[in-house]
Amino acid sequence: MIRLLLSLLLVGMTALLLAFLQSTTPSYAVLTGPIETSGPQKDTVSSKTFSVKVAKLLRAKTIAFTSYGKPVERQTEGAWLIVSVELQSKYDTMTIQAAAIEGASGRSYRQTHRADGAPRLLSSKDLQPGLPTTGIFIFELPEDETSNMALVLSRQPSPQLDSEIRVKLDGETVETRDRVEIGNNGV
Amino acid sequence: MNQSAISKANKALYTRIIAGIGGLLAGALSLGLSIYETRTGTEVAQVPPGKPVDAGQWMVILNSGSVATETPDGRHLPDGKKALTLDLTLENMTAESSNLYRDTLKLENLANPPAPQFYLVRDNDLLWDLQPMMPEKVKVVWQLPATQTLPKVLNVAIVGTTYKPKDNLYAAPGWFNPNDVARVGLPLSVGQGANP
Repeated sequence: MIRLLLSLLLVGMTALLLAFLQSTTPSYAVLTGPIETSGPQKDTVSSKTFSVKVAKLLRAKTIAFTSYGKPVERQTEGAWLIVSVELQSKYDTMTIQAAAIEGASGRSYRQTHRADGAPRLLSSKDLQPGLPTTGIFIFELPEDETSNMALVLSRQPSPQLDSEIRVKLDGETVETRDRVEIGNNGV
Repeated sequence: MNQSAISKANKALYTRIIAGIGGLLAGALSLGLSIYETRTGTEVAQVPPGKPVDAGQWMVILNSGSVATETPDGRHLPDGKKALTLDLTLENMTAESSNLYRDTLKLENLANPPAPQFYLVRDNDLLWDLQPMMPEKVKVVWQLPATQTLPKVLNVAIVGTTYKPKDNLYAAPGWFNPNDVARVGLPLSVGQGANP
């Protein structure tokens, strides 16, 4: 009788221990997730593979640019956010394919395809190691998301065991214009 | 000695029989449950055009349907084709930019429709990502043979998905289990020159 009770107790304890171990094991998605570096807007934020310095933030209702010799104008219900940055790769030639703004609500706004073909877009530029590259990212997001934002950059979308840089953006420094012409010499 | 060997064999036989009965019971129960679920499955709601439908990832409002001779970006169709065009409003209800809207609409009373093309009305151009919380007017175009007869009222099923904070494989969040959440009967207005 005692032996039976003891073995039942032992089985129960083992079950509890295993449940504890299982619930505290980090998931595969967490284990293989991005390696994150974060920093404020005024600093150059560096990860192992690249670094970023935010130069300027611009908010507009309308953006205009010339794409393949054709003038293009894009309007939005929300706001266009143009982030001008300087990127530098550390070891190898790379591109920054994934750029997103995390808005005040925590939602993630990927760089827009509606401005594809605009000059100076960083998604179409190669970063050569040691050579600082300047350019812009363009985002479209609701107006009230722009009060508190972070810029999230990585080589690929949803990086796995690769660097991801998160730059906390200062809402005070956003310059607001009605219309922005994106030219070859900056905004 | 002999006696105990026989009783052992009997015991093993009993265990097998009981395990077999258990297996059969489990099978029968699962079959019965699935039959029951199929029989009492909820009817897909019939929704009038212009009413918002929550499809999990997307808030869909189907406004109207028509047959056109050119695509919304102003290009002419290839010869012998017509463009079945639906007007809708799509809003991304998820927490990130997404272009996973292609499986949201299903034409029910049209045999083997080709893959549709999505256009953003604001730009008169192809639609890429839709940003969260920013509803946009969208046109969806199926290019069909000009000779194909179309029903007067097009039945469109809206396919919804369910959010799972942890999927079974990677324990990552995602949208799963697509199933029909609503059905809309869209009267097709025939644009000019649609039947050459």
